[in-house]
Amino acid sequence: MKCPLEAKRNEVLLDYGSGKLDAGDVSLLEGHLESCHACRDFVQAQRAVWDALDVWEPAPVSADFNRRLYQRIDRQVSWFDRMMRPFQLFGLRRVVPIAASAAVILMAGLLIQRTPTPPPQPQHDTAQMEALQPEQVVLALDEMEALSQLSRPVRADSADSKM
Amino acid sequence: MDERVNRDAGAGVTALDPDAELMLRVRDGDGVSFGVLLDKHRLPVVHFLYRMIQNQAVAEELAQEVFLRVYRSRATYEPTAKFTTWLFRIATHLALNSLRDGKHERLQERLDDTSSDLPARQVADSRPSVEQSMVYQARLDEVRRAVAALPEKQRAAVLMHKYREMEYSQIAKVLDCSESAVKSLLFRAYETLRARLAHMA
Repeated sequence: MKCPLEAKRNEVLLDYGSGKLDAGDVSLLEGHLESCHACRDFVQAQRAVWDALDVWEPAPVSADFNRRLYQRIDRQVSWFDRMMRPFQLFGLRRVVPIAASAAVILMAGLLIQRTPTPPPQPQHDTAQMEALQPEQVVLALDEMEALSQLSRPVRADSADSKM
Repeated sequence: MDERVNRDAGAGVTALDPDAELMLRVRDGDGVSFGVLLDKHRLPVVHFLYRMIQNQAVAEELAQEVFLRVYRSRATYEPTAKFTTWLFRIATHLALNSLRDGKHERLQERLDDTSSDLPARQVADSRPSVEQSMVYQARLDEVRRAVAALPEKQRAAVLMHKYREMEYSQIAKVLDCSESAVKSLLFRAYETLRARLAHMA
């Protein structure tokens, strides 16, 4: 007679051996095991494996395991961590928004201070400057005209002298 | 104790896993919580690594690296899975890398050295006789050789299933594979172990 568990024997019997089946399924399975040679052999062999694996007790962990780990952690702490360590006491999550807000306020203050207000110019000076400037231009042009007139007789004299 | 991880649709996983809650406190700067996690999981991690690598000194060194990585990752920790899943994923990754890096020398070292890794085994009320010690040692050697002969992923799956009593789904997350792949790994591993160790019943 073919075993109804054949396709799922591994999973069902492993779960049975691991104590993961519920009580109803355990009862059904144990009834099946009484009549199924293949499943019975599987269960016995699997129990032997687990009993053998239980023999393998590992050695105790070194007494200085934690101390060595914390030493490694301290060596690994970066300069950034050292800088941030005081803030970590208050919780980084709370400090970051506070620090960001403080930075914004500081930047705003610096920007306000950087923009110097120019000293106010008296109005009459401005008017005078506006009035003076065209006159100065006219004066400069007159001077240039005068210079150019002075230079003409000199060139005529020099030409006569050569003859 | 049930370790449940609920999924919060909007904001990722809301961790009810007590270890994940401790790790969130570590993320917030609570060093004491890291110590609690270390004390709770140090032995299981070292023992898992020892059974994978079969060298106590290397196992402890790798275990230190596991916890160092946990600590270094604290600022970005998010409880997307059970804490032990994450922890054993790191441990398995380091173990597999270590085995690949030093495969031949470690295999020889661990099979030859049967004295330094022995636990202090005592029988209640009386010391074991020489014969008992020899029988115990022979059985232990056979178990170690049988496990060492398993392919690395099968070995990891068996160790997590047998000694950590992890569910298939959790082992799948640790090994980053499907549940059916985990079952396949386990069934083949146990089949091999039954062939080698069933006579020890």
